[in-house]
Amino acid sequence: MWKSFEDAFYLNFIEDDRWKYLTNGLGVTLKITFFAVLIGILLGFTVAIVRNTYQNTGKLKVANAICSLYLTIIRGTPVVVQLMIVYFVIFGSVRIDKSITAILAFGINSGAYQAEIFRSGIQSIPRGQFEAGRSLGFSYHQTMLKIIMPQAIKNVIPTLCNEFITLLKETSVAGYIALEDLTKGGDIIRSRTYSAFMPLIAVALIYLVMVVILEKVVRLIERRLKQNER
Amino acid sequence: MNDKTMNEKMPLIQVKNLYKKFDQKDVLKNISVDINEGDVVCVIGPSGSGKSTFLRCLNRLEEPTGGHILFDGADICDPKTDIDLHRQKMGMVFQQFNLFPHMTILKNLTVAPMSLQKKSQEEAEGYAMQLLERVGLQNRAADYPSQLSGGQQQRIAIVRALCMKPEVMLFDEPTSALDPEMVGEVLNVMRDLAAQKMTMVVVTHEMGFAREVASRVMFLDDGDFLEENAPQEFFENPQNERLRSFLSKVL
Repeated sequence: MWKSFEDAFYLNFIEDDRWKYLTNGLGVTLKITFFAVLIGILLGFTVAIVRNTYQNTGKLKVANAICSLYLTIIRGTPVVVQLMIVYFVIFGSVRIDKSITAILAFGINSGAYQAEIFRSGIQSIPRGQFEAGRSLGFSYHQTMLKIIMPQAIKNVIPTLCNEFITLLKETSVAGYIALEDLTKGGDIIRSRTYSAFMPLIAVALIYLVMVVILEKVVRLIERRLKQNER
Repeated sequence: MNDKTMNEKMPLIQVKNLYKKFDQKDVLKNISVDINEGDVVCVIGPSGSGKSTFLRCLNRLEEPTGGHILFDGADICDPKTDIDLHRQKMGMVFQQFNLFPHMTILKNLTVAPMSLQKKSQEEAEGYAMQLLERVGLQNRAADYPSQLSGGQQQRIAIVRALCMKPEVMLFDEPTSALDPEMVGEVLNVMRDLAAQKMTMVVVTHEMGFAREVASRVMFLDDGDFLEENAPQEFFENPQNERLRSFLSKVL
């Protein structure tokens, strides 16, 4: 029993340095997730500001229409389809690094969800805060910047971290464009060794450990943020 | 006539035919009022009469539907007027305090003077501490608003408005959200202000305060000022039928 386990372990991870599929894949997964989240924050924040400004002042009508369309399309279609469209259609005739394609696709996808997170964060701040800022003489923009945003961002940080965790798992479909992320790495091992158990369980464990650690971090941040208010 | 005497005769705030409509409902019906420098005007009336709307129109937190409000000689209802500049000269205190929860008390008091009036941190903090001392809260400067009681928060809110050195203070039911035992400490601060000749417009249900501190009391009902008088006359010899029935219910 132990012997066969040892053999399987050797076959799947040690022979031909197959463990490198996992470590390299992990690196790709982390890279995609990290930069996609950055793009997502940028996009999401911008879209939230546009939508909120339109709602409050009626300005930015065209930009708001574009943002609504973006949200509808991205949230209404599966991320795998979006990924494949970006890779095979938009960049179909251009040679471009696959991981950049993936970063763009996942970033654009995440932006739509983060936009709603930011917007709900802004809307969760009581109207009186806005009025207090304006009554002191702050302009609309100054009030948003100094009074509303710091509170809104603080409120949404835990939710944003959860979005990061979700995205980390979602990038596992990157194999659809033959990008060798963590999941694909495990799958390659499986196709070489014809044994599915070890590589797939290993992949699952790595995701699980990362998510558990990240959730611990989120809880820590949450507690830290609450401390300031008391 | 020189400028000085001109200014003395000019009311600080002139409200002319102020009209406000929410959807189809007339909330304020062609109100005209003058508020002079040093006046302490208390506005009383049943709920839903338009008191808060009237006050909020004065610094355009509520956009008037029609009419003019002259403040410092400028029509603040004119869209071309920079309302932000005028709001710096009109302090406002809200029923719900509305302190900024993510800032310390001191930061609450200095954020506007520092960024809008370009005061140095030293100067802004110095003045803030001076005012804090006057309301007896100098030892709370480093705390956050949620650590304070309602009455303390409202005193801070008054100080926050005062830090901008306003020409007039607007109070929107400043004691209505407070526990009864905290009403007194806030009214004391306001009494103090009135004694220093601050121009004040106070929407309130505190009849005792109105009678004791106001220079004029006005009765607003159904979007119109029905009676206005010096406090003694106002409370002891009310003319208007609706005012009489209102006073009989609240006194």
